[in-house]
Amino acid sequence: MNPALSRRALLSGAAGGAALLALAGCTSAVGAQNSGTVKKGGTFLGGISTDLVPANFFTNSNAGVTTIIGLVYESLIRYPVDRLRPEPRLAKDWTISPDGRTVTLHLRDDVTFHTGRPFTSADVAFSLRTYADPKWNGQLKSTAQAITSIDARDPHTAVLHLAHPLGNILDLLEIVPIVDEKTFAGVGDGSRYVGTGPFVFERWSPNSRLKFTKNPHYWVPGRPYLDAVDIAVITDATPLTSQLRSGQIDYAYGSSFLDIERLEKSGKYDTIQLRGAETQVYVGTNVTAEGLSDVRVRQAIAYALDRDRVIAEVFRGSGYTANLPWPKTSPAYDAKLNASYGRNVARAKSLLAEYGKPVPTLKYSYVGKDPLLAATAQIVQANLKEIGVTVALDPLDPPTFVAQLIGGKFPGLWTTYHSWAQYTPSTLTVSAYPFNALKNTSHYSSAAYTKDADTAWRQVAGDGVKAREAYAALSKDLLDGLFLIEIGVIEGRWAVSDRVKGVAYTKRSELVLTDAQLTA
Amino acid sequence: MTSYLLRRLPSLAAVLAVSSVLIFGLIRLVPGDPATTLAGANATPDAVAAIRHQLGLDQPLLTQYLRWLGDLVTFDPGRSYIIGGGIGALVGDALGNTLLLTGSALLLAVASALLLGPLWAGTRRRWLEHLLTGVNTLAIAIPTFVLGVALALVFGVLVPVLPAGGVPRAGLLADPSITAQYLLLPAVCLGLPVGAVLTRYLAESLRTELSKPYVVTALAAGVARRRLLFRHALRNVLPTSLTVLGLQTGALLGGAVLVEFTFSWPGLGLLIERAVTGRDYPVVQVLLMLSVTVFAVLQLLTDAAHALLDPRIRLGGAR
Repeated sequence: MNPALSRRALLSGAAGGAALLALAGCTSAVGAQNSGTVKKGGTFLGGISTDLVPANFFTNSNAGVTTIIGLVYESLIRYPVDRLRPEPRLAKDWTISPDGRTVTLHLRDDVTFHTGRPFTSADVAFSLRTYADPKWNGQLKSTAQAITSIDARDPHTAVLHLAHPLGNILDLLEIVPIVDEKTFAGVGDGSRYVGTGPFVFERWSPNSRLKFTKNPHYWVPGRPYLDAVDIAVITDATPLTSQLRSGQIDYAYGSSFLDIERLEKSGKYDTIQLRGAETQVYVGTNVTAEGLSDVRVRQAIAYALDRDRVIAEVFRGSGYTANLPWPKTSPAYDAKLNASYGRNVARAKSLLAEYGKPVPTLKYSYVGKDPLLAATAQIVQANLKEIGVTVALDPLDPPTFVAQLIGGKFPGLWTTYHSWAQYTPSTLTVSAYPFNALKNTSHYSSAAYTKDADTAWRQVAGDGVKAREAYAALSKDLLDGLFLIEIGVIEGRWAVSDRVKGVAYTKRSELVLTDAQLTA
Repeated sequence: MTSYLLRRLPSLAAVLAVSSVLIFGLIRLVPGDPATTLAGANATPDAVAAIRHQLGLDQPLLTQYLRWLGDLVTFDPGRSYIIGGGIGALVGDALGNTLLLTGSALLLAVASALLLGPLWAGTRRRWLEHLLTGVNTLAIAIPTFVLGVALALVFGVLVPVLPAGGVPRAGLLADPSITAQYLLLPAVCLGLPVGAVLTRYLAESLRTELSKPYVVTALAAGVARRRLLFRHALRNVLPTSLTVLGLQTGALLGGAVLVEFTFSWPGLGLLIERAVTGRDYPVVQVLLMLSVTVFAVLQLLTDAAHALLDPRIRLGGAR
């Protein structure tokens, strides 16, 4: 026997044995994650692609905020996701006076904040006033600012006095989370979130995770089922999906449509399609730009767009084409009007011929780091080339894009998303700046549009016959003016592993885990 | 020595002062600002103006600059506009995570070089030499982000023995064995190219060393090749390898940005990416100023070391 070889073998064996012992002695990180999900109760593990931005608490603009609001807070009323029929939440019932200027809310008397303090009408007043404060940039702040006073003398009754009837007042009551005045300072820096909801906010580690525990004093008996919620911030879609597939997380908000499609096909994951919480993708136009100032050119663009291709290829069929902002769940949705501008290249060319002048090269701006918008822009560019309109793509980074959007600085076309059309239609025209009748990104103004937008907003009943007539007029204005050319209504998607049941969402894509359960 | 350092301090202060002006000014030349980021795509110009006022961005630039300078000299870096929270805590946490990741990667790189470098230089088996050459070339050539995704896919998804990314739920300090498992894939991803460069350099240096006359003579005298390799040749080439290691450490810190992104590791790379994307002025300013300060102080220390070794520099007589 070769003694050198023997020693080497001995050393190798010892090293291998030591490594095996070390591995056996370690707790597996993968095993530890799974062991928390196999029992009822337990910890829900999720991942989101955008971290909390504390200053955006009332803007519903990122997954961090919507996760906190969905788990920790509650509003006065709640819409089911598929219709605008309000259901009681912190308000047991409510009445709107015949003149539409007074809203009386009767509140639950068995609700406490996570600090133990009882919820009262003073909290309603504080929450609505805070939401109306311009510094929080709440999307419905103009509606909140139309509340002239709030009578909170009875702790269980809140009476709102309005400057004029507000057809979307119930939207406001559905959207505004009821916050705790005593601890509200912590909201601004992300240190404290105190609500009345099923989960208590524990901790936020920037760029890393959000942690919540069960609210043992939640007013809904027996809920929530889960003991805790742990949400990791995973800012890139690829690792987010990888962590879902590896079993580290059971829920992903921010995976690409393509990845979700693949996950669904594997049979191990469920897809939650956010129907009722839609966003819209559109082509915006600067109506003061040469060429675009003529509505026939804008109509030609609308006819040229291959919306079916965008929805099928870019959004993997998770949505449907649209000519108007309204989703199918909206009281303003009209299938016939929504098909006004089907793809018709010949018609588009004839409209350009009627225009009679060459359309100069149009700059086309979008957020370059968003692959969906980039792909949409390329399809639109190809569509417009077919009708002889040349487009120069202009990918921008998000802050530059938003600065140009709000400043009305786009020289030609742009593409992005908008939301808020899933609510009462007047909410869109008073909350989304691109649709604002008085001042908007497109520099579009029309006396009829301004009048009809205001009429829709001032309805006593947002779903009444008169209101529907006002919405029809609004739709006609949007199709006639065509300053924003809709491409489609997009239904977002969440991927959830088959270990989790009962995951729900609100109309603002907020995560709801009140009835969620983990299964083996 | 003290007087030498004192003589250098004014230039250090000047570098920092000029850098602060440049950093403050350049970030404001980039289109978009924190107010537009916070306002979002549906906001009105009035809402943006209100946010700008609230953040103090509507004040004259000189006022904003002096306020920031005041915060810096009092060691109060302030609060983040976009990310939220105190900047000191944000940077401290992220720095700790990045140092842990790069330290682990460096450890893996050095260990692999010390193991494979001598093996490569000393082997007489052609197949092993070809194998090591191929693997080494691949490790240097493969982009970090491709390697990261592949590692996460293989070891996190297909054969799920390690986490595909992120950090332990209970924190990095709670259980070292769990932390090590979370660290392994990103550290391998970051350390592999550095380890490959080091290995190649070490192997080549050892081959050169092994062909020197003293080695040939020793071999002829019957000294074991392995003994020569480890006791003499390796010892002789280590100092120059350390220089290469120092240069590669810089690359390691740069590469950490991509690896942190790929594995969702919450370090400085993720922090600066988010701060720049969101135009989070205070965070970007502090991170850049920190980087300039570290570089300037390191330069000062290097010069001081030279001065210590060379009296002509120290006494200013070598003119």
